[in-house]
Amino acid sequence: MDISELKRQSDLSYDTAVAKRNALEKAHSRQVVVYDEHIFRADAETICLVRTLKESLDTFCVLDTNRNPVEITDPNQFLSVLVERNQESLNAYKQVYQTFSRRDT
Amino acid sequence: MSAGVLLFCFDTEHTRYHRILERCVRLVRKNITSEITVITNFDTYNRMSPMGHINYRFIEPELGNKLNGRAWNNVDRHMAYELSPYDTTLVMDIDYFCFTGNLKQFLYTDHDFLVPDTAHDLTGRNSFDQRRWSMIPMVWATVLLFKKNDKVRKIFDTVKYVKQHYSYFTEMYRIYAKNLRNDYLFAIALQQVNGFMGYEKLPFALPTLPPDCEVVEITDTGLAWKYDDQISCVEHQDVHVLNKEIANV
Repeated sequence: MDISELKRQSDLSYDTAVAKRNALEKAHSRQVVVYDEHIFRADAETICLVRTLKESLDTFCVLDTNRNPVEITDPNQFLSVLVERNQESLNAYKQVYQTFSRRDT
Repeated sequence: MSAGVLLFCFDTEHTRYHRILERCVRLVRKNITSEITVITNFDTYNRMSPMGHINYRFIEPELGNKLNGRAWNNVDRHMAYELSPYDTTLVMDIDYFCFTGNLKQFLYTDHDFLVPDTAHDLTGRNSFDQRRWSMIPMVWATVLLFKKNDKVRKIFDTVKYVKQHYSYFTEMYRIYAKNLRNDYLFAIALQQVNGFMGYEKLPFALPTLPPDCEVVEITDTGLAWKYDDQISCVEHQDVHVLNKEIANV
């Protein structure tokens, strides 16, 4: 590989890394969701927690992003909101990610 | 309970900010709400194209800062509480382009005052991390959300007090920037009012384009910019554009 090819590959990798970082940040922003006047993050950790608590409790308390306690009275609805937003953001990320894969080839 | 967006816009000798406002209003109306109030002056208002139903409030802006010898009027943010006609207000810089409806949901929380404390550099250089040498956690007053109540009124009263004694407070908190910045005013006021403890924040980083990025195209869904001879773009992601040449794109 000559130096110009190395430079081209390096530039391409840099562009891809920055674009991936931006797309991931976009997904993180989209995962922020307001439910029952409180702010939550629809990430894997929150979804797993809600799912686990829902298995044994009809109502329960969780913390919002500002560490305030929130009583969840309809766990099914809450979980559904979280999962929907999580998958919406990650599907959008996947679409952008596929453009990176095409660039590398 | 009313809720709406409050925008400040004053043309200067060098920059036609009303052109940025026109883009911003279109996006706010499309993605957030049609309840919009613009704080401006008559000179700027007379240059604006018709933008549909908008509330206007007229003030004479206080003399603002200078950047590279160019003035810009951005020091009236402390008056947002008095000027807003809404119970819940989303204040935004007009160069914050909301290509998504992400901010809309925050109009309906039970929080009194919310502001983001981090920015995401879209060029990947982390160029906004330099603010960490200050003695207090900084905030980005580019976007802030407040309800009208006694506590929030005290926050804005404190912002006014900090503004009055700005050099004293910047020395105390080891803030080296010379220009008066809303970010610092609110960071200091929030820390003072909240007993030098934490306060509630918007849990996302503001996607921001540094001033050395030239915006080459802007649509209703995103924008493209040139930096270091490379063109990059984002779509369906809010963007705070620091290069004011966007008024001419």
